[in-house]
Amino acid sequence: MKHKVVRKAVRMFAEAELGPIAHDIDRDARFPLEVVEKMMPLHFFGLQAPKAYGGAEMDTISYAIVIEEISRVSAAVGLCLTVHNSVGIYPIVRFGTEEQKNRFLPAMARGERIGAFCLTEANAGSDAGGVETVALRDDRDYVINGTKIFVTNGGVCGTALIFAITDTQNPQRSAGVFIVEKENPGFAVGEIEDLCGMRANPVSSLFLEDCRVPETNMLGRPGDGIKIGLATLDAGRLGIAAQALGLAQAAFEDSVRYSKERQQFRKPISSFQTIQNYLADMATEIDAGRLLLYRACAVKDAGRPFGAEAAMAKLYCSELATRVTNTAVQIHGGYGYSKEYDVERYFRDAKVTEIYEGTSEVQRMVISRAVLAQRT
Amino acid sequence: MLKLVVCIKQVPMVSELPWDPAKGTLQRDLAEGMMNPACRSALDTALRIKETAGGKITAITMGPPMAEEVLREAIALGADRGVLLSDRKMAGADTSVTSYTLARAIEKACPGFDLVLCGFSTSDSETAQVGPQLAEELDIPGVAYVDEIEISGHTVRMRRFTDNFLETLEMDLPGLVTVNAGRYAPRHVPLGGLQAAFDGADIVSLNAAEIGLDPERIGAKGSATKILNVYSPTAGKKNIVLTGAPKRIVEQIFERFDDKIGGAIGKDLKTERK
Amino acid sequence: MTAKKRAIWVFGDYRNYFQNRVTLQLLSRARDLAARIDAEVCGVVFGYRTDEWRGDVDSYNPTFCGVVGEYIAHGADKVYLADDPRLDAYSMETYTLLMEQLVKREKPEIILIGATTFGREFASRVAKRLATGLTADCIGLDINDDGLLVQIAPSFGGNLVAEIVTPERRPQMATVRPGTFQEIPHDKSRTGKVVKVPLPKSLPADRVRLVRSERCPQREQKLEDAKVVVCGGRGLGSKKKFAKLFELADLLGGEVGATRPVVYADWADHEALVGQAGKQIKPQILLSFGISGAIQHTAACNDAKFIIAVNKNPNAAMMKRADVAIVSDASQICTTLIQELKRRIR
Repeated sequence: MKHKVVRKAVRMFAEAELGPIAHDIDRDARFPLEVVEKMMPLHFFGLQAPKAYGGAEMDTISYAIVIEEISRVSAAVGLCLTVHNSVGIYPIVRFGTEEQKNRFLPAMARGERIGAFCLTEANAGSDAGGVETVALRDDRDYVINGTKIFVTNGGVCGTALIFAITDTQNPQRSAGVFIVEKENPGFAVGEIEDLCGMRANPVSSLFLEDCRVPETNMLGRPGDGIKIGLATLDAGRLGIAAQALGLAQAAFEDSVRYSKERQQFRKPISSFQTIQNYLADMATEIDAGRLLLYRACAVKDAGRPFGAEAAMAKLYCSELATRVTNTAVQIHGGYGYSKEYDVERYFRDAKVTEIYEGTSEVQRMVISRAVLAQRT
Repeated sequence: MLKLVVCIKQVPMVSELPWDPAKGTLQRDLAEGMMNPACRSALDTALRIKETAGGKITAITMGPPMAEEVLREAIALGADRGVLLSDRKMAGADTSVTSYTLARAIEKACPGFDLVLCGFSTSDSETAQVGPQLAEELDIPGVAYVDEIEISGHTVRMRRFTDNFLETLEMDLPGLVTVNAGRYAPRHVPLGGLQAAFDGADIVSLNAAEIGLDPERIGAKGSATKILNVYSPTAGKKNIVLTGAPKRIVEQIFERFDDKIGGAIGKDLKTERK
Repeated sequence: MTAKKRAIWVFGDYRNYFQNRVTLQLLSRARDLAARIDAEVCGVVFGYRTDEWRGDVDSYNPTFCGVVGEYIAHGADKVYLADDPRLDAYSMETYTLLMEQLVKREKPEIILIGATTFGREFASRVAKRLATGLTADCIGLDINDDGLLVQIAPSFGGNLVAEIVTPERRPQMATVRPGTFQEIPHDKSRTGKVVKVPLPKSLPADRVRLVRSERCPQREQKLEDAKVVVCGGRGLGSKKKFAKLFELADLLGGEVGATRPVVYADWADHEALVGQAGKQIKPQILLSFGISGAIQHTAACNDAKFIIAVNKNPNAAMMKRADVAIVSDASQICTTLIQELKRRIR
């Protein structure tokens, strides 16, 4: 019952507050701060954060439902929420010291500071080992230099988690994650990217120039970076899967509605077998994706390793989102190609779900490793 | 500290429900439910009173087990506890029987209550009868269609606009009000509140025997009115459907209805003026 | 001893007479029903100085012959009258008690009350007090073959209509929407009996105290009285597109209404809200743009005589209600209509 009520409550919020503006914020690439204001007291920015720090401490399936329902109306805003919650707050909760949690979490859980996780660089995408951002020790501080690109929430982030290497001789073993707040001198936000989709999300570059932070801003110890990064991405994948699912769901619902309305050859196109087959396939794979996602969420909540399950969910949901939104445009015909209808936005938004937080190729790496590691 | 009771109804989220001629009722279990908007306003009013004057809010609902959802939502929004009145024997009740059921339950579950708040009417049955009848059953003063309410000490002051009269009324607690749907958007449900509402909330479920109801007086059996037939007035309505290019559609509108529209606006729309 | 004739009572909600003529409308219908069950029609009036004009000053009519006289002239065979300073203002508990006592003494078969705000609350209490059934907001009344009053009432915002009877309990009670029935023209020659209802020497004080009651000047009900209403919903897409409705309404000499989501999104003022919690409209022509038809909205549009609805979705509730359902983009149709009207109206 809880999940049903959560879904209804978030859907009502999303339709009331984001529904009327989803199209326009995508067109204008405008991040809707006024909706963020309304989301803050409702715990959207502290969905799974512990209650002690002002979070809602929701179970992971509820969390997935929230992201799904927001993304169903505006995937760009859903992206903001999942990145903030899964790869902004989660690593601090999982790997932070009590002092760090007290210092950083409350403002983030309230939504006063939006989180961002900065890993990608010009030369480091799927190959995290190619990271060139360096954090060099200087007495009790670290001085960070480097440029991060394609940072989701970059334009509005208040608290950034920077993945940097601390020893250029030994990059892999010395990677660390540093928490940097935007007021920190040496931290600058670059221009907002002009992207195909997710346009309402302020994705940008971040420049770190002699950015000095105390060593107490490092999560864990030097060398923990890889471990933290991987664990964080596992959690992040669940959110992205939920986001992709929301997109697919929206495209599917619009397709069903349109196929009943649109008449050709004196019949609604829903009476044609081709369209019926499309709808049947869409319904089936969305359901399959949802079950994969919820299974991964349940495994995470049971405290067991969930990396492979999360990868499967992310891989499957993102690829189904691309397929479903593509078919949705096809079903809508010429109108599907027009900005008067929402499906072209879903289509544009869906593609990146196969790319960020680990491309589909990387997901397959993760899954195959798990498969091959199993004892026969 | 004020003891507030808010009566909430879960109404179907759809615009019509199929009629079951065998049972003589609507097939309510076919639809998703939502909190009746006017009941939401009643809850918002209670929350405002709680915030300014302090108090405890009990949310109470009569319905099938699914109605528990509105109690969880009410608690997420700030109610302190919920009471679900659920029993097959209660089905098919008319407003008088509903008020009897609610009254006995309120007396049992919220003894010593101060103020009962109800929505002025529900979006499905729209009778607006339960509130006043509940006041009668509880034998307490009650005012319907209240817009504003203020409590000081044991007195409630209310303002409402009814039938062209702007009235200010007063009554002593315990009393009952039915609340008009507010002019502002209702607050959204906080997610932390929802999680907490499910983690461990004070919700009890009572059946007819536990409330102490007279079985002859409840459900369809105890109802004075009987529904003979329900039909959809639009079913079989032959309306004209126009599709195609906007220009052509508008042409057709004027072709067929220029008299009708012209008559209504007092102008001659017949010919295009050159 | 002859059996007492059966009676159909109509409660006289007179304080807003002449605007509010629901009592006269009910008296007319009561006459029809009374003929079918061989009953007499009685008005019931509780008030003070009921022979004086109590309505809005601006609408005073010099032919007024006192409320009781009016009711007889419009169809009542008899009027029960309680005229007492203690009944100067409508006070719910006192009126309910008086009605209860009167009904228990006289045992009417049927009681009809106009569904004004007062009437609906009053009827609820009286029905409860008498442990009888009540149907609210009827849009029709009839007598069936069993001689029972058939109470025809809408629910789900008018999407469903029910036929209800009160098989056993008495009296059978219903509140009726103003405007449902037509009054019989004033007939000076009609005569009727006036039965004075004595008040008990001591009446308990009403537990609800009326602190202040101001008659509001009959506020301009532009939207409620408009002959043409142009209503817009979320389907229009944006505030800018919604704003075009004002131009259309202007050309048609009508008013603009809005649905709740549109008001919350600030595309329109709360005063434009057409709905269960907003204004009820009864235009001759209703143009509905991009409205799906949530029952909270359609409930307020039931009295529209002719509805033209525009929506991309042909299955939207509003489209099924409409006389003309246009499956198209609401904003485009609005623009095209404006263009065409400008061409035709000079």
